[in-house]
Amino acid sequence: MKEYVIDANGMEEKELNRTIKEQTKYHDKLIIDNPDSKHNICAGLTEDVEIEINGSAGYFVGTMAHGPRIHITGNAGWFAGDNMTEGELIIEGTAGDGAGQGIYGGTVIVKGNVGSRTGEIMKGGTVIIGGNSGFMTGLLMMGGKLIILGDVTEDVGESIMRGTIFVLGNVKSLGKNAVMEKTTSEDQKELQEVLAEYGFELADEDYANFKKIVNMQ
Amino acid sequence: MAYVRVFTDHFIGGRKMCGIAGVIYKDKKTHPVGEALTSMLESLQHRGPDSAGYAIYGSLDFPKNYYQLNIEVKRKRGTLDNLKSLLNQISPIFEEQLIESVGGSDIYKCKIALDEFSLLKPCINEIDDLENVRFINGSHSFEMIKDTGKVKDIAERFDVPSRMGTHGIGHTRFATESGVDRYHAHPYQSYIIPDITVVHNGQITNYWKIRDPLERKGHTFESFNDTECIVHYMADKLNQGYKLEEALDQAVIDLDGPFSILVGTPNGIGIAKDKLGLRPGVMVETDEIFAVASEEMALHDVTDSDEIEQIAPGETRAYTI
Repeated sequence: MKEYVIDANGMEEKELNRTIKEQTKYHDKLIIDNPDSKHNICAGLTEDVEIEINGSAGYFVGTMAHGPRIHITGNAGWFAGDNMTEGELIIEGTAGDGAGQGIYGGTVIVKGNVGSRTGEIMKGGTVIIGGNSGFMTGLLMMGGKLIILGDVTEDVGESIMRGTIFVLGNVKSLGKNAVMEKTTSEDQKELQEVLAEYGFELADEDYANFKKIVNMQ
Repeated sequence: MAYVRVFTDHFIGGRKMCGIAGVIYKDKKTHPVGEALTSMLESLQHRGPDSAGYAIYGSLDFPKNYYQLNIEVKRKRGTLDNLKSLLNQISPIFEEQLIESVGGSDIYKCKIALDEFSLLKPCINEIDDLENVRFINGSHSFEMIKDTGKVKDIAERFDVPSRMGTHGIGHTRFATESGVDRYHAHPYQSYIIPDITVVHNGQITNYWKIRDPLERKGHTFESFNDTECIVHYMADKLNQGYKLEEALDQAVIDLDGPFSILVGTPNGIGIAKDKLGLRPGVMVETDEIFAVASEEMALHDVTDSDEIEQIAPGETRAYTI
């Protein structure tokens, strides 16, 4: 595998993204050092490439990405993976509001806690949150799978139209148009597969404890 | 329709419109707060290019009832002399400095003494009645520095990095209402109680509902800016005996619109975020500091910790020393 290290220290956002785009022509893996929570890192990246961000990213990391596998060792700001269509975005730390907002495909994973409106208007794909998620999680969701391993606060699934929200922890309240159902054995099997794929280790009995939130039929 | 508004605010408001930052050192000793806030505000420069400002607490070691005044003075013949003549009628001038600034005006900084705090507001009113002069602020325990332009230039112009203090708040402004001038740069200060300041990212949509009762109580407003309204609101609550945390909690209930408010007092800082969480706010707390900012990048200027917390919708956080 051909690797290339980009030192983002002192780079403007556009310069960094231009460098990333250019280097994907010649390398399979890019390592970005000193990202300093810059915004829009990897915006619109469509190449089949691995990206390692050593540190934290700012707003809109991986927005409109189609294909890259992005791994962030630190935290991310608001709207991580916004409108992504294909690929992976894995955040080891925490993320702000709107993680996985509007994604059409691919997988967004945040190992820690996230802010509010996680997965809002998502149309497809999978969002997995290892910690807690805030206000209006799954707001206006139109498709896809949103999995929360921690607790969620008020108005989960507010005005949800399609798609499914799974919550392992406590649900403070449901939003309008959202109902809670029991998971089926098929749901539990799917959860087991996708969570195992990304290294989340749960006890067998936990899978039966997931709450399933969908739209009111 | 409500959702359209929520989305518009969330998409646009989160990315633009002002940066806020604050830091407090838990050991109550003075630290290079000016340098820390300058780094934080430079990291948030992209959120607000119009003006920037600081309130650095613990930076003035004044005897009781001594005040530092910052007054904008137009470069017109006789203006400064008129100002000094008026000031000398109010109090001896103990120290003075003229700081060259932009826009055809300079900042006249001086130290005066009053018999009591209640005389500060009448003093301000008298100064504001002078031609070609605008009162910027008067403080006892903190230093306010604010001006139009970029953080780097303002920091250099006023030698901000040399300022020591126990805590402080700062702001980069993306003007969405009111003029782009020195007065409308944040922080705003209220004189209902001594030395309270506010910086703010957002808009207060029930402005008149908040302002009316304050005016009926006799509090005066100098502008139609919503941040001025917030600082009077907070000062009024603290004046009624609310603790900082309680005043912030009440602000979340009473104020409508998207906002992140950061308040500075002589012994603490505190943040409140609107009920829908439409403006950003993150915080970090270590053994040494408590710091808040609009974005994580600013927190990394004052700590190596990655334990960054998102401030939730309707949440308030405060730290006092």
